[in-house]
Amino acid sequence: MAGVPDTLTLRRHRDMKGRESWIQGRRILLALLCAVLLAGLLNVFGQRPDSSSAAAPRASLSVYAPTHLRSGLVYAARFHITARDDIKDAFLVLDPGWAEGYTVNGVAPQPVTEADRNGRIAYGFGHLPAGQSLIFFMSLQVNPTNVGRRSQNVELDDGETPILTIHRKITIFP
Amino acid sequence: MDIVLRALVAYVFVLFLMRVVGRRELSSMEPSDVILLVVIGDLVQNGVTQSDYSVTGIVLAAGTIGLLATLTAFVTFRWSRIRNVIEGEPVILVEDGKLIERNMKHERLTLDEVMEQARLQQGVESLHDVRWAVLETSGSISIVKKE
Repeated sequence: MAGVPDTLTLRRHRDMKGRESWIQGRRILLALLCAVLLAGLLNVFGQRPDSSSAAAPRASLSVYAPTHLRSGLVYAARFHITARDDIKDAFLVLDPGWAEGYTVNGVAPQPVTEADRNGRIAYGFGHLPAGQSLIFFMSLQVNPTNVGRRSQNVELDDGETPILTIHRKITIFP
Repeated sequence: MDIVLRALVAYVFVLFLMRVVGRRELSSMEPSDVILLVVIGDLVQNGVTQSDYSVTGIVLAAGTIGLLATLTAFVTFRWSRIRNVIEGEPVILVEDGKLIERNMKHERLTLDEVMEQARLQQGVESLHDVRWAVLETSGSISIVKKE
């Protein structure tokens, strides 16, 4: 039999003795990689939008926006208000989590008023007659340094009187 | 601080990925291997620098990668067990003209690929003329022909 090249041994480099664990280990690591990719397909890391809604005798509200995102992504959030009763001065009051660490690219339609309400952002839309709907879009981009979990509650008010609240959180992956 | 951490994570992940996908992808240039290497480079750059176009950003990201490469080289030089984990070990593919099927299968290599290297490196025409074929840690196949 030919002499083995220096630094190589038949036992370890041909018969793979003592290296079986790596062969198994590589399969496990590949499976782990597949699991991460599968989690990505199942929207664990965003950015597919989720719908959350709440209803009260006077109105209903639904929010269609992702709850899992990655830094840097651009997306739009949709707020759909349906008035069952006359709302004299409709306000959407958003938690600071809707703006902190975000770039707000635009909103449509333009609210009548925009104000601070105890650290939250209040968009005023004026009178909303019974039976009418209002759809409001926010175009957002997650800033690259915005990572973590934040509250993104949405409250519908008539003036300063709360009608209903949607409780939601957003998780932003690095 | 973020850019240093992102560069660190990218370095460790690419190292992990390269070890997991196997060595044949490191040196061979089949169409799928080209896609893997080119696309990874582009994706990693986006993830590390994101929207940072500053010179400071370049210094931090490139400096981190450079430092990690030096650190990896030192660790693999100093501790052989860690070297085996990070770089892997050579695998004998052909011994005295005989193909070691099990090792070829583990490394997803074909006889054609071994013979291509045998022809390129040593002008060997037949497998019987190959004394040793070894898959090196760099992903290249070294050929020693019979005297």
